[in-house]
Amino acid sequence: MNKYISSRALEVFHARDVLRQLVRQQLILRYRRTALGYLWTLVNPLLMMTVMALVFSSLFKVNFEEFAVFLFAGMVPWSYFNSVSTQSAHAFINNEGLIKKIYIPKLVFPLSISVALMIDCILSFAALLMIIVIVGGGISWAVVTLPISFVLLFLFSFGIGLIASVMTVFFRDLQYVIIIAMQGLFFLTPVLYKHDALSGKVAWLVGLNPLVPFIELFRAPLYRGVVPEVNIIIGSFLWALFSVLFGLFYFYRQEKKIVYRL
Amino acid sequence: MSKISIDNLSIRFRVYHDRSPSLKDFVASIFKRRGKPSFTEFLAVNHVSLEFNSGDRVGIVGHNGAGKSTLLKALCRVYESDEGVVRIEGRLAPLLEIGAGFHPEFTGRENIYLNGSILGYTQEQLKEIEPEVISFAELEDFIDTPVKYYSTGMYMRLAFSLATAMHPDILVLDEIFAGGDAAFMERAKRRMYEMIDRANIMIMVSHDHVLVRSLCNRVVWLDHGKLVADGHPDEVMDLYLRGTNSAE
Repeated sequence: MNKYISSRALEVFHARDVLRQLVRQQLILRYRRTALGYLWTLVNPLLMMTVMALVFSSLFKVNFEEFAVFLFAGMVPWSYFNSVSTQSAHAFINNEGLIKKIYIPKLVFPLSISVALMIDCILSFAALLMIIVIVGGGISWAVVTLPISFVLLFLFSFGIGLIASVMTVFFRDLQYVIIIAMQGLFFLTPVLYKHDALSGKVAWLVGLNPLVPFIELFRAPLYRGVVPEVNIIIGSFLWALFSVLFGLFYFYRQEKKIVYRL
Repeated sequence: MSKISIDNLSIRFRVYHDRSPSLKDFVASIFKRRGKPSFTEFLAVNHVSLEFNSGDRVGIVGHNGAGKSTLLKALCRVYESDEGVVRIEGRLAPLLEIGAGFHPEFTGRENIYLNGSILGYTQEQLKEIEPEVISFAELEDFIDTPVKYYSTGMYMRLAFSLATAMHPDILVLDEIFAGGDAAFMERAKRRMYEMIDRANIMIMVSHDHVLVRSLCNRVVWLDHGKLVADGHPDEVMDLYLRGTNSAE
């Protein structure tokens, strides 16, 4: 078993150049030949969040600046998780031509998606953080915990992305199911509202949502200016560990079948 | 020293009758287990055992759909099977599909790095071979142009030059010889032969009988996934051609 794990890890390590190229391909190609180029990655979430903050701060009748920071802290982890889940569904399908012609450790396809999106996520996060500082929002020392938040978010999303990428090969309908499920999940995730603001019939559903501690990992240092509570850190750590281990286990069980079903 | 041993290998494909199975079908199939399956299975490679040793120049012949390319892809690990074992010693380079992994939006130079890394070259190796690849492809003036603006010939020249830039221990070829004008074809052939000469083991699939006889010292005949004959090119080729003619 240990031998199996180390040989697999070595294989992915040897494929790091392919991984780097695939990540580069994703980052560069999207906005090639547009005037703003890669800046779109930063401008896009910025504009969307501004619109959302404007609409919902007036709808909820709360202070715009405060709500903008609140929303932004929740949107960073949410949109990363959302993009990884929906884009990973195409990881193997879009690379069918390559997979059927040449052997590459297949893990690099979903991995490249998670890595490229994480780079996008960190850069747009940095841009948003700068804007908060410029408009006069305070930043506390608690933000030094954010690297841990990003690592845990990455592991959790990557695990889910792996499962989505493999399952979609077998059931193509899943790519559409995921999009709809994500829309539903958005409202069950405390991004627009505070976790305790929801009561009634669906409150217990939010309690089951594994994304809740991940949102809090970002919201505590950015919005409340405190280090996340221990139970939040432990909760998200356990979810991340479970997700990535189960994702890898499922992926390696199905890996050889993928090429026959593309 | 390179060596390949294939032990009792089978590769099973499913042919779906109408469409790919959807989630609905899957759920439905849980409830009606006795229903007819929506696919049939067939063996593209049927219990094949073979051993290739250093110095072997192997030609694989057979009709369309005999499992030749599937066998090659199994050697390159594109198809991995639970039935049978493939053991490989030595660095294997697949030349199955020249230009696989080229991205049309990327420039020629970017594609050297993208496709090169897919072919298994390291960044350092690619830096080293880059000038030679560009000059062999005669693309000095267009190397920073996206390849979607290339003519077919330019595209093939770049892909071919890159794929043949390194010398592997084990060379696997599927219907070689790229396009291009007559002068390039001549140079490409020479480069190809040099690559074959330097390889420890060469395995090729081809329908060109003259080519197989001239390049190979061993011929394997596959039919419907099964090994029919394996031996000296003249013997097997005669058998194969006789079999083909009498069948028609």
